[in-house]
Amino acid sequence: MTSESTLFSNRWLPVLLVAPFMLLIVLFFYVPIFQAFYWSFFLEQPFGGGSMFVGLDNFARVLSDREFWQAGGRTLVFMVTASSLAVLIPLILAVAADRKIRLSLPARNVLVWPKGVAGASIGVVFAFVFNPFVGILAPLNKAFPGIWAPGIDGTDAFITLIAAHVWSGIPFNFVILLAGLQSIPRTMQQAAAMDGAGPWRRIFDVQLPLIMPQLFLTLVLEFTESVTSAFALIDTITHGGPGGATTLLVYKIYKDGFSGYDLSGAATQTAILMVFVILLTAAQFVFLGRRINYER
Amino acid sequence: MNAIDTAIRAAAASITVKDLTKAYDPQTVVIPPMDVELKAGEFTVVLGPSGCGKSTLLQMIAGLERVSSGKILIGTREVQDLEPKHRGCAMVFQNYALYPHMTVFENMAYSLKVSGTPKAERAERVAAVAKMLGLADYLHRKPGQLSGGQRQRVAIGRAIVREPAVLLFDEPLSNLDAQLRHDMRVELADLHRRIGATTVFVTHDQVEAMTLADRILILNKGRIEQFDTPKAIYHNPASVFVAKFIGAPPMNILPVTGDGAALRLADGQVVANASLTGTYQLGIRPEDIVLDGKTEGHAVKAALRFREDLGSHSVLAADLGGSTVRIATPFGADIADRLELDLNFPTSRLHLFDAATGRAIPGAFGAQ
Repeated sequence: MTSESTLFSNRWLPVLLVAPFMLLIVLFFYVPIFQAFYWSFFLEQPFGGGSMFVGLDNFARVLSDREFWQAGGRTLVFMVTASSLAVLIPLILAVAADRKIRLSLPARNVLVWPKGVAGASIGVVFAFVFNPFVGILAPLNKAFPGIWAPGIDGTDAFITLIAAHVWSGIPFNFVILLAGLQSIPRTMQQAAAMDGAGPWRRIFDVQLPLIMPQLFLTLVLEFTESVTSAFALIDTITHGGPGGATTLLVYKIYKDGFSGYDLSGAATQTAILMVFVILLTAAQFVFLGRRINYER
Repeated sequence: MNAIDTAIRAAAASITVKDLTKAYDPQTVVIPPMDVELKAGEFTVVLGPSGCGKSTLLQMIAGLERVSSGKILIGTREVQDLEPKHRGCAMVFQNYALYPHMTVFENMAYSLKVSGTPKAERAERVAAVAKMLGLADYLHRKPGQLSGGQRQRVAIGRAIVREPAVLLFDEPLSNLDAQLRHDMRVELADLHRRIGATTVFVTHDQVEAMTLADRILILNKGRIEQFDTPKAIYHNPASVFVAKFIGAPPMNILPVTGDGAALRLADGQVVANASLTGTYQLGIRPEDIVLDGKTEGHAVKAALRFREDLGSHSVLAADLGGSTVRIATPFGADIADRLELDLNFPTSRLHLFDAATGRAIPGAFGAQ
């Protein structure tokens, strides 16, 4: 505690400095969340005009809904595939860039650009890129008619969604992982080379173990983010279709709440999703986080 | 002597460097053509100021740096184009470069694991080396839980467990504090005496060089200034560079002029008889100058500027013909409030160097 008092002579100054940020977080994050939890125990009238306490009725209704479980399952599939790819691909790129292979310098710059693009814009771009008639896969359709049809085929639509998500996740994860790799002392690599380990062996024996903190960070962030950030992509590329194949929980909540005016149902699903994400993150910390060696 | 000592002694190989050069581009030549042979089992210290190319030479032997041209032979094998792992060298790095995620045992066993040595043999060899280095109780710790000296020992253990043909050290003691550095130096000398591995040890510290080396290779701008035993280098430096680099305080170098009968300082005082003409550089070690005594040499007068009492001895700095000379005298010599010193330069202790090239002129004062 002594360090705090030496840093700030006035004890209210730090509070004042943090206040604007805390205000934003409370107003736009904590309040809505508690609101959602609160509403999940009430039956809300769609156009205002009072609500009625119904206990766990909302939960019973949502949990017995087949569509909820389907959307949940799709969320899980998306979470696992999209986030592991969104870590794996930047990892490969970062290892390559760290090895200073040809063109790694321009690549390092180009790879960071998607970070500056909003989710919805990425969606619009990818809707165009993967368009079956004018996109990059259009020639495939010419050779094998109907093989690529994200507008009709649910799997194709899902792949489009994952590709867009992974692409948008590359910059951040790439930067974090590359920074991790570059903080490994050069002599460590040389020592491994002297010990007889070739480049591939060094990746697995020295580099990967030493960037575990960075890998863990990107994985945790990816898992939590993949649940929510898919919304912008779904809303611009597939609108949840075809036939609900890309309706993840986050999109279903939006549709139920703002198109179906089932405010209580949406609030209940939000609460469930929130608890699920919290449990998942906690599990990652318990099972993975403890085994990570932060020593250098 | 146990099994691992014998094995390392048997594996020791000579290193031969032929016409070796290193240049990053035509303008930046780090090492001009170099020829040198390091004998099997010998402890060679490569000494030089920073930027003299000593680490580059070591890295080229190790295979971590490409050679620009020339050959490196380990034993009779040409290795300059081989990968590090095929050269049979092991290296101890300045910052130890231990794997922080592995235990001491895993660190030392890693090279054996990579080379596919059976598990039982791995454990046996690591145990033998750990015992030799006093690390047996620390095998299950991570490097982060060890002290600086212990980490250093693990790094050495990791290098010798493979029974390498050549053991390379890249300034391994410079991260340690003074006391530990001294202790490790003694340990290293002892270790080399026991295992007899061919050792190349790079440093900029002359004390390490003098105490550890069988022979010292002194580099200046990539060129070999002198390659000889510590004793020979100290007593017969081959150039002004070597003379000034070895010894603390370093050898005094004074400009002198020969008139055919005597060598004179800039102020005209005679320091030695010699039938030489022209300008030279005269060298004499601070501890060889005799204060207030008679020798076979000439006496000169110098103005005292300051003294440093170091406990074991005192160092006086005096002005002599416009140059500063340092004189090492016994501690507490009675020179208080004297402004003028009577100095005597024993002729047998004088070194003469060419004024232009800085190379030593042997036999300038008769037989030495």
